[in-house]
Amino acid sequence: MQRRDFLRTAAALAGLPLLAGCQQLLGWGLPVDVLRPGMAAGHRLRDAATLPPPRSERRVDTVIVGSGVAGLFAGWRLAREGYRDFVLLNGPEPDGNAAAGAFDGWRYPTGAHYLPLPSPESAHVRTLLAEMGVIEAGSDSLRPTFDERVLVHAPDERLWRDGQWQDGLLPRGLGAADDAQQQRFLLHVKQLQLQHGADGRRVFTVPTALASQDPAWRALDRQSFASWLAAHGYTAPGLLWYLDYCCRDDYGSTLAHTSAWAGLHYFAARGGHAANAEDGAVLTWPDGLNPLLRHMRGRIGPDKQLDGAAWRIRQHGKQVQVDYIDATGAQRLIARRVIVATPLHVAWHLLPQLPALGFERAHLPPRAPWLVGNVLLARFPAEPASQPLAWDNVVYGSRSLGYVVATHQLIRAALPERTVFTTYHAFADAPPAATRPWLAAASADALFEQATADLYAVYGPRLRRHMLAARLTVRAHAMASPQPGFLANPGLAALRTADGPILFAHADLSGLSLFEEAAWWGDVAAQRVLAA
Amino acid sequence: MKACMRDRLLILSVFVVASCGLAYELIAGALASYLLGDSVLQFSSIIGCYLFAMGVGSHLSQYVKDERVLDTFVEIELLVALLGGLSASALFAVFAWSGESFRLTLYALVFLTGAMVGMEIPLVMRLLHQREQRFAELVSRVLTFDYLGALAVSLLFPIVLAPRLGLARSALLFGLSNVAVALWTCRVFRAELLRPTVQYLRSLLVLLVLGGGFIAADELTRWNEKAIYGDDVIHAETTPYQRLVLTRWKGDLRLYINGNLQFSSRDEHRYHEALVHPVLGALPWARRVLILGGGDGLAAREVLKYPQVQQVTLVDLDPAMTGLFSRSAPLLALNGGSLRNPRLRVVNDDAARWLEQHAEVFDAIIVDFPDPSSFALGKLYSVPLYRLLSRHLADNGLAVVQSTSPYHAPRSYWSINATLRAAGLATTPYHAYVPSFGEWGFIIAAHRPGYTPPQAYRVPLKFLDREATRQMFFFPPDMQPWRVEPNQLNDQRLVHYFEQDWSQVIR
Repeated sequence: MQRRDFLRTAAALAGLPLLAGCQQLLGWGLPVDVLRPGMAAGHRLRDAATLPPPRSERRVDTVIVGSGVAGLFAGWRLAREGYRDFVLLNGPEPDGNAAAGAFDGWRYPTGAHYLPLPSPESAHVRTLLAEMGVIEAGSDSLRPTFDERVLVHAPDERLWRDGQWQDGLLPRGLGAADDAQQQRFLLHVKQLQLQHGADGRRVFTVPTALASQDPAWRALDRQSFASWLAAHGYTAPGLLWYLDYCCRDDYGSTLAHTSAWAGLHYFAARGGHAANAEDGAVLTWPDGLNPLLRHMRGRIGPDKQLDGAAWRIRQHGKQVQVDYIDATGAQRLIARRVIVATPLHVAWHLLPQLPALGFERAHLPPRAPWLVGNVLLARFPAEPASQPLAWDNVVYGSRSLGYVVATHQLIRAALPERTVFTTYHAFADAPPAATRPWLAAASADALFEQATADLYAVYGPRLRRHMLAARLTVRAHAMASPQPGFLANPGLAALRTADGPILFAHADLSGLSLFEEAAWWGDVAAQRVLAA
Repeated sequence: MKACMRDRLLILSVFVVASCGLAYELIAGALASYLLGDSVLQFSSIIGCYLFAMGVGSHLSQYVKDERVLDTFVEIELLVALLGGLSASALFAVFAWSGESFRLTLYALVFLTGAMVGMEIPLVMRLLHQREQRFAELVSRVLTFDYLGALAVSLLFPIVLAPRLGLARSALLFGLSNVAVALWTCRVFRAELLRPTVQYLRSLLVLLVLGGGFIAADELTRWNEKAIYGDDVIHAETTPYQRLVLTRWKGDLRLYINGNLQFSSRDEHRYHEALVHPVLGALPWARRVLILGGGDGLAAREVLKYPQVQQVTLVDLDPAMTGLFSRSAPLLALNGGSLRNPRLRVVNDDAARWLEQHAEVFDAIIVDFPDPSSFALGKLYSVPLYRLLSRHLADNGLAVVQSTSPYHAPRSYWSINATLRAAGLATTPYHAYVPSFGEWGFIIAAHRPGYTPPQAYRVPLKFLDREATRQMFFFPPDMQPWRVEPNQLNDQRLVHYFEQDWSQVIR
């Protein structure tokens, strides 16, 4: 009947997908941007085109190459100590994995989004937080007082399982055996938190550089987390899913491809406490960790930050040449010391002399690809009253990592009129080299489908009606994955101790991509500059 | 009457039947959007369910025997008339009296009506076909009128019927049209019906029911809303932020927001005098006052009694709320037109965001936020918010915070007190008896201790005098302070306290 056709058209205009399986229709009319930060510049560098002669030459005592967490932390430390003769080269991927964006004032992270409470060993991070006012009192104490606006607000986590939400991320209700193994595992890692090696140091610490060198404990690195768990009788599916989720979330790798030392480190190294929050609380901002970087940039000052991508770093005797390209062409910096604060796969192409420093191509840590989705919503989707929207929302059994809510920390009398959901997906199930060509070529629709898989699993297609825009960030070389044997990487050991004209600062030196590790190596490099 | 005239009448009945069919669909969609929200979802699912049911009805029509077609048509008209005509009133009643089965009833009603309507057109076509009409002409004529009927109603419903008659009466009107078709079929085709008298009497009965409903529709709606609110509803409005319902019963005016009582005009003076005067009575120098929440203008009415107050800033999220309380005559009588007072400035913004984004300093701040019943609202009772508040408070100024009940919700009340102290403020708790709410609590906060309650008031008050004020600051043995933790945003203890407190009160 004609009336039915009319109504069907009306329903289609109202945005109702009438035909099941028309996935490609979901992207209809939704502006989707795809960002691939650093890709073009990185691939140009890899393909080694020659550079025209530099148009300018500038002498400076120290150059920091790269403006991720490590580079900015090095610059922040130098500035804080009153050292002025340095510049920081922003590079093609400013803020690195702690970058952020905004939809018309609604800020969101495009990378890392939280920081655990820093333990006393992370004094360097505590100093930064105290300077920012995030630590209000007791920076040197066991339990500092934090600015509550930054401590994650309740409810912090929930897990979607069988069409319902449950509190926390550990799956419950999977049977007595699972519950018992979960309890046993938590107790086990709690003991490991206090475990000291033969050298008197804690076995698991952040930064890892301060961890015990006791070979008896470091032997854990020789096996995968999966085999360690099996050997200790951890077989319950709910617990194993959770641990696998944690490894993908922190390392971009599955249990089978994660070093047992690193897998335990995730749980046992987090010893931070707060005077005004529970243990296990985290610090977060609407735009993830980006405010920390903005603060460090503020301290460094805009005059010391150069736009441009490094092209070649060469040591000539006691001097180092840094050639880079900016909007006007090729430029050269000549410095006494250079802090290479790029990921090591970038440093490999920047520094022809890397093998001479003891670092071979085979020492490059494997890197996991990530996809970060940001979706601007016109309003909040309906949530059950008993389990309201949490900051971190994870789907049990999913291969993605769930989503966080950018407006969670706002204090408002009513729900904000808009919000941004940030979804995370680490490509842990296939070798990175197999995933990258797909990521480079994938259409916006295909990436959108991957990035929003968890959102659709939870809310169904009706969420599409709340979406105003999406921005997808492809990070094909996002983070180092600590595979079994990573602690014994001799190339990393060489770069960690390098104290010549060329210094290195990056979380890659630890083999784990954590803010505290990146900041630690930035701090170490800055201290070496200050010492000489 | 000639045979061809009868056929024309049958075709005309297609027009009415089609109009009514679409009308029930629109009414169900509008009602569901109105009561449940999310209009796109409601309309889509109702149209889908309805169309599917029509398909089912069309399918079932083949089982009607040829000799019973006319009788079945009349019976179906009457059923549609009853189901569709009473649909809006019935759904409203179900929503009011047992909210849980609402969706089930909604879709069941939509499905049944759809199935009946789906049988109508095939039956009419068979009737005409039996009368040896040419098939091509028959299909064309029936569908033309079917479509015209749909068009007529799709324009008439939103422009004329829904605004003039309301949903309940519109549905009844269309039900009456269905009965009219049935009656007129009985009359015209009397000779061809198997049981003409029975059908005739049935039609009259349905006519009586729907006619009665049409006359009593207003009464019915009022009765339903009364079931929800207990009193006559004099204003109901769904804003982007909340649902406002105003009721009146024998001179008692009550405001409900999302179903929660905000005030009763019988005793609101107790609440608002207790909220405002312990602070303003102690600040004879107060020039600038901030009110957070309080879009009803009742706290503002009390503040404006002080001639020395030069400017009152009232921050309330919902323009519909402040608009209602600056327009409606009975509400203006209640708040004394406070929201229209030239000394008062209304800011429609989120109070917490406004505090973040402005720097003005006030001699007195009156905080009248909703109770901390959810994680979102619990954030308004936090150290960061109170620190923000204290930055807007003059050095010798005073703030007062609505703090739930120290009697019914002691954990919550004393946790709010502890939170204010954790934010570095000196606090003075007090309470007053408000019959609608029970024993209610407030806390005065200042930069320094040393607050003393006023000994007398220079403005006319109904509830407070020297002795009543003294009693407010006295906590009898059954309302002694509880040792509870301040609210921390990381775990929001206050929200748990609040749940715990009230779960013990409501039995």
